[in-house]
Amino acid sequence: MGQIELKGVTKRFGDAEVIPPLDLQINDGEFVVFVGPSGCGKSTLLRLIAGLEDVSGGTINIDGRNATDERPAQRGLAMVFQSYALYPHMSVRKNIAFPLKMAKMSKAEIDAKVDHAAKVLNLSSYIDRRPGQLSGGQRQRVAIGRAIVRSPKAFLFDEPLSNLDAALRVNMRLEISELHNTLKTTMIYVTHDQVEAMTMADKIVVLQAGRIEQVGSPLELYRSPKNRFVAGFIGSPKMNFIGGAEAAKYNAFEIGVRPEHIAVGPTGDWQGRVTVSEHLGSDTFLHVETQHGLINVRAGGEVGVHHGDTVWLTPDRSQMHRFDQQGHAL
Amino acid sequence: MATQASRAAGRLMISPAVIVLFLWMIVPLGMTIYFSFLRYNLLIPGDHAFAGFENYQFFFTDPNFWPALINTLLLVGGVLLITTVGGILLALLLDQPMFGQGIVRVLVIAPFFVMPTVSALVWKNMFMNPVNGIFGWLANVFGVPPYDFLSQAPLLSIILIVAWQWLPFATLILLTALQSLDSEQLEAAEMDGAGPFSRFFHIMLPHLSRAATVVILIQTIFLLSIFAEILVTTNGGPGNASTNLTYLVYSQSLLQYDVGLGSAGGIVAVILANIVAIFLMRMIGKNLEA
Ligand SMILES: Nc1ncnc2c1ncn2[C@@H]1O[C@H](COP(=O)(O)OP(=O)(O)OP(=O)(O)O)[C@@H](O)[C@H]1O
Ligand SMILES: [Mg+2]
Repeated sequence: MGQIELKGVTKRFGDAEVIPPLDLQINDGEFVVFVGPSGCGKSTLLRLIAGLEDVSGGTINIDGRNATDERPAQRGLAMVFQSYALYPHMSVRKNIAFPLKMAKMSKAEIDAKVDHAAKVLNLSSYIDRRPGQLSGGQRQRVAIGRAIVRSPKAFLFDEPLSNLDAALRVNMRLEISELHNTLKTTMIYVTHDQVEAMTMADKIVVLQAGRIEQVGSPLELYRSPKNRFVAGFIGSPKMNFIGGAEAAKYNAFEIGVRPEHIAVGPTGDWQGRVTVSEHLGSDTFLHVETQHGLINVRAGGEVGVHHGDTVWLTPDRSQMHRFDQQGHAL
Repeated sequence: MATQASRAAGRLMISPAVIVLFLWMIVPLGMTIYFSFLRYNLLIPGDHAFAGFENYQFFFTDPNFWPALINTLLLVGGVLLITTVGGILLALLLDQPMFGQGIVRVLVIAPFFVMPTVSALVWKNMFMNPVNGIFGWLANVFGVPPYDFLSQAPLLSIILIVAWQWLPFATLILLTALQSLDSEQLEAAEMDGAGPFSRFFHIMLPHLSRAATVVILIQTIFLLSIFAEILVTTNGGPGNASTNLTYLVYSQSLLQYDVGLGSAGGIVAVILANIVAIFLMRMIGKNLEA
């Protein structure tokens, strides 16, 4: 079980209200990702759930039990920190065994669980090394191992992959997703990388300045963002926004079109000059200077358009997003 | 210094400093060794005849030698115990967020700035004196007879005085070490179910071990040669109850004007210091590696 419910949770540091009253429901077995720009309160929210910070108001229920005033250890959650927070003077084995030792388990039971976790995470060959003698990815795995041995109700990850290089990040992303598939435990995952959010999440929570902008599955957020912020945050490359008279044509204050929903051709709605074209093989990203500003276009890999060419762009009207003056979707 | 040429140049550059340092050490040491083999008393003019190991024999068979050796070790051990344990506790206390933290820290460091002779005299006259001291006054308030620290427990009193002087040093080094502990490690331990005591023993103490090693090594070097505190408080007495090796060397060479005997004692002290240092390095020096 691992159902977490936040009701009217607020957090203030002195006078600064970092999290205004916030409600959120996380279901058992869900993979929930918190995304948002830096400083929006993702880590703070995670630490509130973990019990490492006290809430300033509201309640946190875990499995229907009020856990607001419980200490971190009593909540039965496990956390993987961005810096891994391994204990440097203990071997990998001792690191993983530490939570079990604190729970006063018998030696035999501890050994069995540690060996099992080490096998699942491929840690066995360096089980007697110290954290200082491991690579970043291996440390990350030890940190995850330390979290899974306790069989927690939910895992909390705070940007666990941000210290890894790009290739390793993709690998670890897959490993964590696989882990979720086998364990089926609730996971809450903080990141500011929207690719991680889109690929891993069952449910994405988009935060801005401590407020929840939208909650939904990755495709829901991609297809029907509730507002301009979510529309701009989800999707890569970013959505193009056009205001003024052009938007008025569509009865909106501002319109948004994703780069992949714009066709390039010899004729079309908007004329522009290509400033940069990035050929990636599978795709070509075009930066086109038009009378409505710079527009990013994602074209096929074989498009023969180069710097300085004049092109015509046609947005796909069925995939167009319209926003009012306050940035709400129409 | 990657290449052989640059390494050779480096050696050449630092050689003057090394040579000066070496002479600085070896000349006094050589002279002391030389004197320790002479029959050399300032009250007996004339030839300084070669005496062989006579001085050493005198020093070792001096009835005060073994008590002085034991006193030295007790003094060093006692002060180390008080300062490391007390230093860790004080560092934990000072690491807590509190009102007036800056001022409190300066106050804690203050004893280190007081000269040894001055602090020993302050303790002797204003704290431990049974008539004028504050402890005597306290004893009177509670209606118990005042305790004459310096004559009844001379070595312990000196240990207390010296520990008071060195506590700030230990606290300061251990406090900086404590502050360098990654707070996420403590939070991880908290999530792992470790209570305050487990966190202290499993996370903080191992983190402090390196700093504690430095504290112990540095203090040992200074504590082996404690002298001023003994001179101004007990004069090594009553009897030889608070005489350590340094003080014994002083009383033999200067009070009896016997340079040869004093030199022999000095050499014995040097050898003892080296033995202690080797033991310490063996025991805790491995903390400093890696
Ligand atoms: N202990 C604290 N005292 C005061 N303000 C704090 C404290 N911790 C965080 N804040 C503030 O709360 C806000 C949210 O911080 P938080 O660490 O949750 O951001 P984040 O979303 O995790 O950002 P990032 O992606 O950069 O990690 C920030 O504006 C930060 O300055
Ligand atoms: Mg953060």
